[in-house]
Amino acid sequence: MLEFRDVTVTLGGVRVLRDVSFLINTSDTVALIGANGAGKTTTLRSIMGFTHMTGEIRFLREDITKLPPAKRPGLGIGYAAEDRRLFSAFTVEENILMPAQVARLTAQETTRRLGRVYTILPELKEMAGRPAGSVSGGQGKMVALGRALMIGTRLIMLDEPFQGLAPALARRYAEALRTLRDHDPDVTLIITESNPGLLRRFADRALVVERGEMREGSLAEDAPDPLHPASPATTP
Amino acid sequence: MNLQLFALAFFDGIAYAALVFLVAVGLTLIFGVLRVLNVAHGSFYAMGAYATASTVGAIVAAGYSPWLAFPMMIIASALIGGLIGGPVEKLLLRRIYDMEEVLQILVTFAVFMILEDVQRLVWGVQPYFESSALMVLGTVDVLGITYTAYQLILLPVVAILVLVGLRIFLRHTLSGKLILAVTEDREAATAIGVNVDRVYLVTFVVGASLAAFGGALASATTSVIPGMGADMIVLSFAVVATAGLGRIEGAAITALLIGLGRSFAVYLAPELDVLVPYLIMLAVLLVRPEGLFGMAHTRKI
Ligand SMILES: Nc1ncnc2c1ncn2[C@@H]1O[C@H](COP(=O)(O)OP(=O)(O)O)[C@@H](O)[C@H]1O
Ligand SMILES: [Mg+2]
Repeated sequence: MLEFRDVTVTLGGVRVLRDVSFLINTSDTVALIGANGAGKTTTLRSIMGFTHMTGEIRFLREDITKLPPAKRPGLGIGYAAEDRRLFSAFTVEENILMPAQVARLTAQETTRRLGRVYTILPELKEMAGRPAGSVSGGQGKMVALGRALMIGTRLIMLDEPFQGLAPALARRYAEALRTLRDHDPDVTLIITESNPGLLRRFADRALVVERGEMREGSLAEDAPDPLHPASPATTP
Repeated sequence: MNLQLFALAFFDGIAYAALVFLVAVGLTLIFGVLRVLNVAHGSFYAMGAYATASTVGAIVAAGYSPWLAFPMMIIASALIGGLIGGPVEKLLLRRIYDMEEVLQILVTFAVFMILEDVQRLVWGVQPYFESSALMVLGTVDVLGITYTAYQLILLPVVAILVLVGLRIFLRHTLSGKLILAVTEDREAATAIGVNVDRVYLVTFVVGASLAAFGGALASATTSVIPGMGADMIVLSFAVVATAGLGRIEGAAITALLIGLGRSFAVYLAPELDVLVPYLIMLAVLLVRPEGLFGMAHTRKI
């Protein structure tokens, strides 16, 4: 459902992604693994249309490379950026509803989707009326996930969602992702992470980005850590 | 300073602050979204004044009611904001958003110069004076002073209505919410499907119309002359910088502070009157570089 063909992204004179090609199928849960600065965020931002790039990105068999960024969420793509980036002037619920208002969804469809968000993230209902500027960093990530769920009917992209979450909240977040999977088996998920161990349990595929190149990785428990291959020093 | 002089300075200050606020709030709204310091903002003030003075003059000369001046002010400012502000954003400013700040300011300065010439071309260089709106509202007596109701009551009331109206527009209409969202985080807004180009255009037209409305209201109290736009842009820059960029309520309070400061200076230290707004700005920025109501951290663009 999502395909990169020879995508190259240059930022400030540096080629951050180099001729990257990959294909992701509908309903995949993909872990996008890479060290800090490897190019994970750049990959997601390219899908959103926020980078100057060459090559081609196809979504549902359509070339979206030239599609204006503001039109991409309308294809059913929800994106929760690395930092939570809520709109602090509004309440939590207003933040979640805003994508539906922008897309001019009917009241009925908006209610249905809000119901889906609250099923997956019931805690958001309790803080619905709070100003988004007043919620904690971890809660903010939950709200950002809720907002992405509101538009992400086909593809949901989460950029380092576990980064900086307290252990209890991280477990809650992972649980919410599993609920989402059960609730919505067809949606495609891309989750970036610098620590592959965290995604082992629910990703079914790993893509590893390293020095601007993308390759297939393994998430099996006994597979070598794709970022830190066992050091040869132990061999006699 | 006796009570009457004090009251006089106070009333002058409030009336002046109301006008400054209208222009400054438009400027701060535009800066918040476009991130461009728009020098051409003063031109919209001047054109609002010219358009109102000339049309109201013609209406009254043709024997129609001077009360028509009030709807004319609103129509003239909306037309200036939409018909001149709209194309300026869409055709010119849109090309400069990725440029360095210095270049942006130079371009908006060029737009300002072009619009100055347009004013000379359309309205000539002779002053316009058209105070029908001021006359028709009469005067009020307060504390032994006779003052025009237009300046003492209408201008402050209009400024408060604009402030409240703007708040309601920004918080409770979709266009307004999108303006706030883009002000806070352009990329996050795009990521939920907001067409940022359109928000820029709407913001610019609203901001330019507010400046034109300030000019329209001012035209009843003063001669409309070439150069009035330049005076106003400098003053509203002072207000916006003192308040902190992008702050709407802050612009209102700061306009009041600077308006009052200036009018008291007129009576107490006339030689300082033009300097006072900048002295206030300097004093505030030395203590709080982010402005009175600005946030300490810089927002991500
Ligand atoms: N605006 C930019 N200008 C120059 N270099 C950038 C910019 N943004 C990111 N980079 C560089 O691109 C590389 C990849 O960044 P990013 O995609 O954010 O990595 P990740 O999300 O994997 O940590 C980093 O080395 C970073 O320094
Ligand atoms: Mg990143």
